[in-house]
This record gives sequence, C-alpha cells and structure tokens, in this order.
Amino acid sequence: MSLEAFLSQSLVGLYKGSFYWFLAVGLSLIFGVTRIINFAHAAFFVLGGYLMFTFYNYTGSFILSLVLSTITTGLIGTFFEITLIRRVYEIDPIYQLLLTFGIALVVNELQKIMWGKFPRYVSIPEYLRGYIGVGDVSISYYSLMVICLSFLIFILVYVVINMSLWGLRVRAVWRDKTMAQIFKINPYLVYTSIFFLGTALAGLGGSLMVALHPVGPGLGDHLIVYAFIVVVIAGLGNILGAYVISLFIGLVSSLATWLLPEVDILIVYSIAALVLLLRPEGLFGER
Amino acid sequence: MFIRDMNLALIAILVLLLLVVPLTGDRFYIYITSLFMIYSLFALSYNLLFGYANLLSFGHAMFFATGAYVTALFTLKVLRDPLVGLIAGVMFSIPLALLIGFLTLRHTRVYFAILTLAFGMLVYAVLVKWRSVTGGTDGLIGIPKKGVILDISSPTAYYLFILAFFTLTTIGLYLFTKSRWGLLMRALGANEDRLPFTGHSPLFVRLYTFVISGIIAALSGSLYAIFMGVITPDIAYWTFSAEPLVMTLLGGASYYLGPVLGAFVLITLTTLLARFAEYWLLLLGLAVIAVVIGFRGGIAGMLVSAFHIVRDMRGWSRWRSLRLRI
Repeated sequence: MSLEAFLSQSLVGLYKGSFYWFLAVGLSLIFGVTRIINFAHAAFFVLGGYLMFTFYNYTGSFILSLVLSTITTGLIGTFFEITLIRRVYEIDPIYQLLLTFGIALVVNELQKIMWGKFPRYVSIPEYLRGYIGVGDVSISYYSLMVICLSFLIFILVYVVINMSLWGLRVRAVWRDKTMAQIFKINPYLVYTSIFFLGTALAGLGGSLMVALHPVGPGLGDHLIVYAFIVVVIAGLGNILGAYVISLFIGLVSSLATWLLPEVDILIVYSIAALVLLLRPEGLFGER
Repeated sequence: MFIRDMNLALIAILVLLLLVVPLTGDRFYIYITSLFMIYSLFALSYNLLFGYANLLSFGHAMFFATGAYVTALFTLKVLRDPLVGLIAGVMFSIPLALLIGFLTLRHTRVYFAILTLAFGMLVYAVLVKWRSVTGGTDGLIGIPKKGVILDISSPTAYYLFILAFFTLTTIGLYLFTKSRWGLLMRALGANEDRLPFTGHSPLFVRLYTFVISGIIAALSGSLYAIFMGVITPDIAYWTFSAEPLVMTLLGGASYYLGPVLGAFVLITLTTLLARFAEYWLLLLGLAVIAVVIGFRGGIAGMLVSAFHIVRDMRGWSRWRSLRLRI
C-alpha cells in the first residue's frame, strides 16, 4: 500500500463521486422543493448517456452533443412532470413514489427498445485524451475535467439558489408553499423549472459518463440505489451535503474496491444503513 | 345471503379449480400454475405490509431470498429433504424479520422505503460476496426434490405439495386478518395517529405485521427454491421486490385476494405475451402509472364497481341490498 497508489485510487474515487453528484443534486433539489422522491432519476441519467451517443453520431462534436443531450433530457423530464407528476403533488407520498417508479420502468424499457440491449459508448475527443501528473500519480484530462465540472456545477447551483431572484422564489416555495402563493409566486412553475434543472443535470452526468463507461440496461437500477444512499446520508434537500457525501461515497467505494475487494459493496450499504438508523434526517439535515 | 364469507368462498372455488389442473397431466400448465401459487403467496405477504399496514417496502425480496437460500443450503449441506429444508428456511426468517423490523420500523413512509431498500441491498451484497457459502453470482444448484423423508420428484406430487401450503396459508392468513390482531393492523393502516389512543403501540403492531409478512415471503422463497432446483442472487436484488408490489397494485391492494388476482393476471400475460417478454417491464410500468393516476382499487376495485353498476340497474331492484364483502 504505497502513497502513490493511495492517491491514484482517491482520484478515481473523486471521479466516481462526481457522477454520484450529478445524480444526487437533482434528486435532492426535486425532493427539497416538491417533496417527491424521484425514483426515475437514474433512468434520466442513463437516458442522457444514450442521447449523447445519438447526438455524437450525428453531429460529431463532443461539446455540442453534450449541450444538446443535457437540454433534451431536461425537456423529457419536464414532459413527465407536466403530464403525470403534476397530478400527484397532493396525494399520499407512497403513491408519489410508486408513480415515479412506474415512470422509471417505462423510461428504461423505451431505452431498450430505442437503443437495443447492448451497452453504448462514445470515444473521447482527441484534445481530452492526455494525462497530467506528478511522479507516479497521474490523472487523465477527461477525469480532471469531470471533477472540475462537478465542482463548477456545485458552485453554480449554490449561487443560483441562494443569490438569484429565481432562487429566491425556489427557496420561498421550499419553505412554505402557501405563503409563497400569497406573494404571487406560482409554485407549479417553480416545480416545473426545478424538474427541468434536476433532470438536465442528471442528463449531463449521463452524457459525461458515456465517454468512459458504456451505458446499458440495468445501469439505472444500480445507480439509483447509490443516489438514494448519497441523498439520504446527506439529508434530503441539502445541496452542500449532497456534494460532500457524493465525493465521500465515491472515495469510500473506490478505496474499498482496492483495499477490501471481498466486501467492497457491503461497506457502502452498511454506512447507509448505519446513518439512516442513527440519524434518519441525514448528517447535514435540519430537523 | 347464504354465503357467510365471500372471501372464504372464493378461496374454496380457487382451490377446487387448482385441484383440477394436475388432472390434465399437461406439464406446462402444472409448471405455470405452480409458479402462480408461489408468486401469489409472495404478493399476499407483501400486501400485508402495503395494503393493511400502509408500509411501502422495497426490500421484501430479502425474505424471499433468505427462505430460498436457507432451504437450499440446508438441503445441500445438512439433510437432503425438501420438507425439513422448507421448515428451516421459514424458521430462519423469523429472527431476521425481527431484527430488520426492529431496526427499520421506527421510521415510516419514505424513510422506511429507502431503509428497506438499503437493507435489501445489504442482503444482496452478502449473497454475492460470500462466495464460499452462497456460490456468489453463480448461485446454488441441485436443490433436491427427492429427500430422505419426503419424495416429491414428480411434477404432480410437487404441485400438490405447493397447493397444500397455498391453501393453508391463504385460509390461515385470511382468518388472521379477521382476528383482533388483524383488526389492529387495519387500524394502523387507516390512521396511525389515532391507534395509540386505543392503548396499543403502533410499533408493536407494525413489528408483528412485518414478521408475519416476512415468514410468508420466506415460505414462498423456499417453495421457489425447491421448485426451480437452482437459485441465483437475482432474487435478492431490489427490482425483484417490485414484482409483488406491481401484482398487489394491479390486483387491488385494499382487497384480501387482490394480490392473488394480480399474480394471476401478470403470469397469464407474461405467458401469453412470451414473444414480448423482453419488454414486459414496459407493460408493468404503464400498469403502475395507470393504477396510481386512475384507479387505486386495481382490477378487483374495477370488478366491484362494475358489480355495483349492474346491481343498481333497473329491473334488478330485489338485489339492491346485496353487497360484495371482499
């Protein structure tokens, strides 16, 4: 167990954690504002990956297809919000969870029909292929870009929520929906825009992932569990917490795979179960 | 009316129909019907939590898998007998359900759903990682149907073996839901804030509901292991917990026999639409959305309202007082 190997593995962990963040941010925002746990969130993440694959095949430009697939995923998420999820804001939370679960199944299967059962991936563009490093510890430009981008998104979301006028409306609905309505804020418009933002960020994550890991059926089922773990440990609806815990879970899972390969996935689930038992409102939660 | 209890009558009719199936001697029908009974038990156990106590669990597959794995390990390593293995599988689920229930049931609603998901995945991780005992992702093979005490190796014998457990459990569980314990369970589901006013602890009611539900899920898992002869950790993955959930929702969660109806419809559909089996989750997803948005009562609810519409039509006035108590 050398220091170099430890550092390299930690970088891999941060890289993995960045993807959990792209997933967790939307889940957390959507829950915070609309009180809906979006089971379909990972399905939108995977959808972003597939769309990236298609757009890249057509346009040939990495950056352009990244933007296109992010926006398209956001629009598809908004479509489901307007047509289905909007009807269930007032009912029993159990049924809200079930509805998003149904949407997850539908989106997953439609992907299988559209893109087939085989994993898809796109190749990284030439200018992102190099490595940068000190001594034996090195990281590819691409991983570095993903880590930096996740940090950038974190700052951006934080600033927008806390400092913009739209963010003020979101926080108003977040705190007290009825009071916000008195001040002529349309909560449903806020809900729809939050859904767009959340699913678009999930789509961005999926689009970034498809360049190094193939995206295929079953990936969403696996990722949603990790996203839940992150969001729940952080405390539902907490953005800062979601970012810290995403990176932490990424680190733990990648170090566990390296040091204790026999029990690696057990560790993450055990941490989740332990935190939920001892502090169900999450480490960063309020209440 | 002369029929005292509609549900017991329906169970009796169902069992009689199920008794006819082995007479056809068709191995395919026997296979499908066996599967139907196993899934029915699984869905019935799930509805105890979902329909009666109003708890949404995404980790119910852990009890199914526990029953299956303990039965498999017991018959392979300790004593080659299906019946004893089955009893071992069911017995093992009791302490597990007590432990998990004790840990998770303090939380309700969304937290309970996510907590059961985490524990279910923990069980899955153990089954995958503990290779020397559970066989890892390869699972366990060669679970015997022919044992030292009981030999049920012919399809008909095994069918009757499942049918016996199916009949006993459906009737026993129904009588349980009608007992005062079952009444408390319904009271909890209807209004958990008011239950403490009657002097009962909601936690205790939830705990025994959870344990009984776990026992029946383990029973169905054990039957499944002996029936298939092969098990893999897929039956512990969280998506497998969604199957009884969809059956319950589709059949009608507020009716005792709703999950059985749901299991029947789903298994019939998958068999008929075998060509589309690849995409049948799409069908499930659409069904879940339709049930949540449109008709919470599921198929049983639709049948009951259809019955009421017919009853209230003109010319049927002497049936006006007739009520379906299911």
